[in-house]
Amino acid sequence: MELYEFPAYHLVEMIKRREVSATEVLESTLNRIAKVDGIPGKIEQEEGTDQQPDRIHAFITLTADRARQQAQAIDHAVVSGEEVGPLAGVPFTVKDIFCVTGTPSTAASRILANFTAPYSATPAERLEAAGGVLLGKVNLDEFTYGSSNESSAFKPFPRNPWNTARVTGGSSGGSAAAVAAGEGALSLGTDTAGSIRQPAAFCGVVGMKPTYGRVSRYGLIAFGSSLDCPGPLARNVTDAALMLQVIAGADRHDATAANLPVENYVAMLEDNIRGLRVGISPDYFRITYPDPETGELHQESLSPEIETAALRAAGRLAEMGADIVDDIPMPHTRYGIPAYFVISRVEAASNLHRFDGVKYGYRTPDAVEDLNEMYRKTRGQAFGVQPKLRILMGMYVSAAQYSEQYYNRALRVRTLIRKDFDDIFDPNGKYRLDALLAPTTPTTAFPIGDVYGDSVLMQYADQLTVPANHAGLPAISLPCGYDKEGLPIGFQLIGPDFCEATLLRLGRAYELATENDAWREIKPAI
Amino acid sequence: MTEYEAIIGLETHIQLNTTTKIFCSCKADSWNDPPNTNICPVCCGLPGVLPVLNKTVVEKAVLLAAAMNTEIQPISYFDRKNYFYPDLPKGYQISQYDRPLARGGYLELPMPEGYIRRINIHKLHIEEDAGKTKNDYGRRLIDFNRCGVPLVEMVTGPDLRSADEAAQYLIRLRQLLRWLGISEADMEKAHLRCDANVSIRPKGADYLNPKTEIKNVNSITAVRDAIQTEIERQIHEVEAGNGILAWTLEWDEDSGILRKMRSKETEADYRYFREPDLLPIRLEQAWLEEILSSLPELPLARRQRFIHQYNLPEYDADILTGERSLSDYFENAVITYGSDPKRVSNWLMNDILRMVNERGIPAGELKLTANYLADIIKLVDSNVINTSTGKSLLEKVEQSGKSPQQIVEEEGLAKVNDQDAIRMVCTEVLAEAPDQVKSYKSGKAGLMGWFVGQVMKKMRGKADPQLAKAILEELLAK
Repeated sequence: MELYEFPAYHLVEMIKRREVSATEVLESTLNRIAKVDGIPGKIEQEEGTDQQPDRIHAFITLTADRARQQAQAIDHAVVSGEEVGPLAGVPFTVKDIFCVTGTPSTAASRILANFTAPYSATPAERLEAAGGVLLGKVNLDEFTYGSSNESSAFKPFPRNPWNTARVTGGSSGGSAAAVAAGEGALSLGTDTAGSIRQPAAFCGVVGMKPTYGRVSRYGLIAFGSSLDCPGPLARNVTDAALMLQVIAGADRHDATAANLPVENYVAMLEDNIRGLRVGISPDYFRITYPDPETGELHQESLSPEIETAALRAAGRLAEMGADIVDDIPMPHTRYGIPAYFVISRVEAASNLHRFDGVKYGYRTPDAVEDLNEMYRKTRGQAFGVQPKLRILMGMYVSAAQYSEQYYNRALRVRTLIRKDFDDIFDPNGKYRLDALLAPTTPTTAFPIGDVYGDSVLMQYADQLTVPANHAGLPAISLPCGYDKEGLPIGFQLIGPDFCEATLLRLGRAYELATENDAWREIKPAI
Repeated sequence: MTEYEAIIGLETHIQLNTTTKIFCSCKADSWNDPPNTNICPVCCGLPGVLPVLNKTVVEKAVLLAAAMNTEIQPISYFDRKNYFYPDLPKGYQISQYDRPLARGGYLELPMPEGYIRRINIHKLHIEEDAGKTKNDYGRRLIDFNRCGVPLVEMVTGPDLRSADEAAQYLIRLRQLLRWLGISEADMEKAHLRCDANVSIRPKGADYLNPKTEIKNVNSITAVRDAIQTEIERQIHEVEAGNGILAWTLEWDEDSGILRKMRSKETEADYRYFREPDLLPIRLEQAWLEEILSSLPELPLARRQRFIHQYNLPEYDADILTGERSLSDYFENAVITYGSDPKRVSNWLMNDILRMVNERGIPAGELKLTANYLADIIKLVDSNVINTSTGKSLLEKVEQSGKSPQQIVEEEGLAKVNDQDAIRMVCTEVLAEAPDQVKSYKSGKAGLMGWFVGQVMKKMRGKADPQLAKAILEELLAK
């Protein structure tokens, strides 16, 4: 086993015991990146068919020099007997939606392609302060607006390590692909409707969306501010717990970051799950979507392989002592995407206002008559199709004459979705669940080009993940096998507010239950 | 000929005098600072930043809300007001829209003519300021220093009926803001900003006509002049048979004319929605009580009390409640002095006010404290020093910071009450002025003042003049 393949928790122990140096770990990882990643994403490049189609292309910016300095500092500290942080020497990547001091922080958009952040996002800063070694910034859908990474302005966009003709999922596609391909043990992603969990499922890694407010959003270039959650992507539950431990907690720069103390996730990981109540809802085993012509709601079942894999996962948890509770009603699940379409667009349109060519980022090089023309040209030239669509939609549904029938209505739907969860997690209620188990995605990773272009259909890739964002609840996606094409399948566990520890425990129990399964041995082909 | 009345409403923005800005820790006051020196990623709207509310802003706004007799809301929300402008770095202003900090409220204006006008306000809310744009030969220069400076916005009802009333509202509001210590309220420095909505109608009518909005007025005099000019213009237009269009006007102070900035055809849609980056303001009872415990007696209430409790003339009461420090000074002096507030008022209005103005500091910062002033008046009352010594003591105390008693002792300023000493000097004076003695004795009684003066002169002002006079009379009667 190469060093780049080791779990983060293992690397930290080895580095602390001086069995291996942080520099050795880093060099192994940089070699891996050099071998599998190919050319980094750039705005000048157009997607070419012949352009390294067998590479991952996870990175936009590789920060090898910075990483070497950080690794040397860790090694120096270890040698001098100094205390080192809980992630000492662990190579990690950051989704390029976070500002990190001194790095281009692009949001995968032309409009920020030339922006170098003068400050660091709180979770990124905490990872570095904990001894993490920053490998670089990884690709994503432009401004996180997508579920496949195909909308990135930085081409080539990432490819799925299990099958490079398939998408990584998104928007944290670069993060999931990097972790899956051994390009860093950990990655910092964001989840607004499933943007951590869906690519984690597509790429066969662990991805956790914490409770809204558990991890500070300071420095995260906002999409849907009331939905965005930074969180970990890792190759195993212990690493995800270790990373969450570091990034979680109150932040004086974020008023919406909770002041609750952070539990010791790692210490509680191996606790017994006996008696934990895990629910299964039929509403999470089908997809409801509107007919593009008539608007009528269609219902479709999931791919049987995904359904079977999720139910099999529930069975393994039952073997470990969890009580599985069937037939949990989640009646408002089907409204998750329409409500999200409205709420996230309103917030996105407003959040994109600041990109006006005045202060930073792209400004049109064309001669302009007046200020409005400068705005129009700058935004017209530098925003991709997704930001434009979201601005149009967001402006429309928040206009004074429409906001009642769209925006305010969507907020009420959101409350109902939250109520579904309140009912099932109520400790004095009928179901008293500790978690809800569901497939993470309706399908496995789809072929590149298949869905892209159909914004509505693309959005439905998030139907099973978005309710947790509406409700602000923690959820974790775990790999649970492969479909017949060899693509990873993921299932998720959604829990009550701030019950990350329980979800991680269940996840770890599932890992233990399946650690000798044959599918655990499979590695990505890349 | 129709008699018209003006219908005026004022929209005021008040800059709170907090140390730091509303959502970041940059210095709030940038007066005299070079452009773009008090800025950070947060107030410049860099990608990824978040606002964090400065609690002092809420506390200061709550004091104003209480003083304006509003209903303070236990929970209020921030909203985004979306629009594009280069000096608005986020492309939206964080403000409060449908759930403001306070609703309702009023300020009562005692007008110099003797009537009281009650001015209603609909709501009071908190928001952040935008930056400043300057046009510079075809370029726009932007200063972000002012971004995130805390503001309170208050809009009055259409309750003001003249330019004088509008000016009076601003005078009283400015007094109140300074009194509460929540704003410097300096219009020239834009701490207090005012836009005026003006319309006219035949006196006694109960409908409202289209109004114009006057912007960019930066002194109370300018507000009065601009409104008066606009009222006259509207009367002129209506008399000429023309309608009034809903224009936005700009006051050019130098030339004393209003310029049309734009016509207001449609209301802008700011697409307000709740600011997801901030929690609601929850004014829990304990916090509210803590804030309100520092709410002082308000100037108009104190003015009434001074009139009734201390029997002060309205004129005195007005001046002595014009400014809180002077007012507190007066009351402390009255308490120490123990009686006759009018006597204290006279000293204050004549001498202390002059000292305060000359030094440009509030009365409370004088070394000559209210207690020292009371002591000096008491020294005069009890004949230890005479009035002119008392007056000169004011400056001596202020300069040295020593107590009046100490100075009197050190400098031997006490009046000489020693009969023998005075008698000796009186004898001397009479002996040195045989001609005057002769004249006096022949009936020129007016010379007594001259004799007393001579005695005072010899005794360097310390003699008790009453005693000196009595002795002189006795000697001259011989």
